[in-house]
Amino acid sequence: MKPIIKMENVSKFYRKVPAIRNVDFDLRKGEIHALLGENGAGKSTLTKIMAGVVEATDGQMLYKGKPACFATPNEALHAGIAMVFQETSLVPSMTVAQNLYLGSENFLNRLRGIYISAQQFLQSLNFQVDPRALVATLGAASQQMIEIARAVHHNAEVIIFDEPTATLTPEEKRHFFALLRRLKESGVSIIFISHALEEALEISDRITILRDGELVETGDTKDYDRDRIIAAMVGRTLTEEIYGEHKERETRKAGKRILAVHDISMGTIVRNTSFSVFTGQITGVFGLIGSGRTETFKVVSGVFKRNFKRGGSIELEDRRVRYLTPAEAVADGIIYVTEDRKGEGIFETMGIGENLFGGLLASGHNKGWIVRRKDIRDLATQWIERLNIKAINADARVVELSGGNQQKVVIGKGLCQKPRLVIFDEPTRGVDVGAIAEIHQLINDLADQGIAVVVISSYLPEILNLSDRILVCRQGRIVEEFTPEDATEETVMYASVH
Amino acid sequence: MNLSTFNQERIVLIATVLVVIFAAIVLPGFLNVTNLISIVRSISVLGILALGMAIVIIGRGIDLSMVAIMAMSIAWYLQMLHTGYGETEALMLVLLAVVFIGAVNGFLVAYADVPPIFVTLATGLFVFGFVRSQLIPSDAVTVPAGHWLEAVGAARFAGIPVDVFVFLTLAFATFLFLRFTKWGRYVYYAGDNPAAARNIGIPVRPMLVLRYILSALFSFIAGLLTAASLLSIQTRVINSNLLYDVILVAVIGGIGLSGGKGGVRNVLIGAALIGILLNVMTIANISLLLQNLIKSTILLAAIILDGWLNPRDEQTAQQGDI
Repeated sequence: MKPIIKMENVSKFYRKVPAIRNVDFDLRKGEIHALLGENGAGKSTLTKIMAGVVEATDGQMLYKGKPACFATPNEALHAGIAMVFQETSLVPSMTVAQNLYLGSENFLNRLRGIYISAQQFLQSLNFQVDPRALVATLGAASQQMIEIARAVHHNAEVIIFDEPTATLTPEEKRHFFALLRRLKESGVSIIFISHALEEALEISDRITILRDGELVETGDTKDYDRDRIIAAMVGRTLTEEIYGEHKERETRKAGKRILAVHDISMGTIVRNTSFSVFTGQITGVFGLIGSGRTETFKVVSGVFKRNFKRGGSIELEDRRVRYLTPAEAVADGIIYVTEDRKGEGIFETMGIGENLFGGLLASGHNKGWIVRRKDIRDLATQWIERLNIKAINADARVVELSGGNQQKVVIGKGLCQKPRLVIFDEPTRGVDVGAIAEIHQLINDLADQGIAVVVISSYLPEILNLSDRILVCRQGRIVEEFTPEDATEETVMYASVH
Repeated sequence: MNLSTFNQERIVLIATVLVVIFAAIVLPGFLNVTNLISIVRSISVLGILALGMAIVIIGRGIDLSMVAIMAMSIAWYLQMLHTGYGETEALMLVLLAVVFIGAVNGFLVAYADVPPIFVTLATGLFVFGFVRSQLIPSDAVTVPAGHWLEAVGAARFAGIPVDVFVFLTLAFATFLFLRFTKWGRYVYYAGDNPAAARNIGIPVRPMLVLRYILSALFSFIAGLLTAASLLSIQTRVINSNLLYDVILVAVIGGIGLSGGKGGVRNVLIGAALIGILLNVMTIANISLLLQNLIKSTILLAAIILDGWLNPRDEQTAQQGDI
């Protein structure tokens, strides 16, 4: 059968860091094709290239047998490729019908007309949504359904779903799968990205597994079962280059309990989770995207507030604490090193020195009220050497550095606050291979110094390699704990998917 | 030579020098001492307001209530003196009111998360409406005879009016604050990336309130100087384009509206260009309408050039609109 989309030798690099490398992929007409892999395996990047969201660095894409290169998502949409994103791209202040027809309105846009046709259209899909309702008033699941309806409405021949079922209830999920089958019968080709392996096994015709940016294997779904998929997802090639063999190492003994969390809750994301953190060892936290791992620790570090009522309790060295701002947590020696470097980590108009100095200043460890240029320069020289930051000089702007060096600045900013508990959230995301090893060394050194360290990661080898204790987060709570001896990639992965 | 060494600050400096050279050649009387003194005096009040505005803008905000606070606080103050309040009493009351309005601005922006442009627009109008309708009987209030403001207005050091020294002192104090104090540095961190500033433990919201209080106090001082030189305060100044000029001075000097960028030097350069330009245009007898057109053209050119030469974020600038 002739494929409708064929990707030939496609690569994409973000600032010289490969997101996918030399991927050959094909999508047949009228099939449901599940795309599986860990976080960061390159699933999203691959599909974003098809949908014109990002441009491939290398390789080419054939659409209906002809080379195609879409500069914008809109071009791809008009050619017949629609993508339904994880985060919805609806306009919250407009009604359902207006969103459905967004971008395809007639010149004279009569609201009555679109409400009637939207009603009929939604009914034909068996979606129970009022076309006159404002999108902002709808729940996540309904928004997802409108997003799907919009793709269908554009008569797309290829629809890409990125984690479509994460927000759906079982009932809605059944409707959604029925819809997928109907679409398939009418000749639409579907790419389905998911973390839920059972869903992929249930709905798809073929499965492709990506790992570390490379395509591992493609095959008919009937040849697969859960274990084979997991084995393919975690089997390593590139990993072994970085992490080497599973190193023989001594597990650090737990020091004293510095943090005890009982039953904390925040909205629907963190749900009654309890755990402890000890000094002098690394506590690894593994969880897939949406499992609430980041949010849990943002509550601990005061970035988010836990529920006011029935929010649980947090004890720092047997003292009950409730942080309203990160400032209070910092004063108690709790540092959160963010996963979102650009959004909430670095100060982009400033140099390395000033970025680091911000941490020192905020922690109150800087003597007095006067800020001297020399202090900033000295601090920069000291940390550039200690963290081996590669920059032309101490005044180099942070945006000009590579991802790895930016990450080191963000870490340094926290470390000069003299922390007792450091929470690293995805410390090596978007970081080049050389810097990963250095950052890991740094994390190990901190634990050896007796500091309590938490490493949150969705990258299994990182967790297994660093942790003295592994916590697994799923659906807003810590569900399982492993010792490094018990933990294998398979068992940890198994605990984190449901 | 790197193209980006031509940042907005330098472009404006070069433009200022060009205007001065041009004016010195074409306009007789531009370079004489009286005219130069009148230039510096004219930019003092504008400059003080722009300093307050700059502190707020660097912290990623904007304060549209400055002119209202300036005119109405002084009008109320003078009115109290006319109706028999003691000097200290009146001054204390008015200072309290000024700090209060600044704190309300800051509180609404920081804790109620209302965009600063709406908060300050509303409080500015409220202050004007409340004071004008409840506290003072007419549009203009005069300085009582024999009041210390008269002496301030008439005082000269080395032939230069006192306003200029007040402006320079405040500029220097602001410079010291922004560059060398802890809270001053916080302004930059919060302006550059509020989320990151919060994460590393900077008290972002109390600092925000502080900035709006500072800008209100700067407005009050600018109002005192206005009253000193004119011997009265005209509340209709709120309807003039003074506020627009203040923002013009701050922005044209290179204080980025996106926050975290600029300093006192930028205010001085902006004030110099605008002051000289206004003076030249007045001497050259250019109509007010044309003056506004010229000012706005310069502002647009400066912003566009700066955005082009120094994109705030390289990646976003390159990737376009995805």
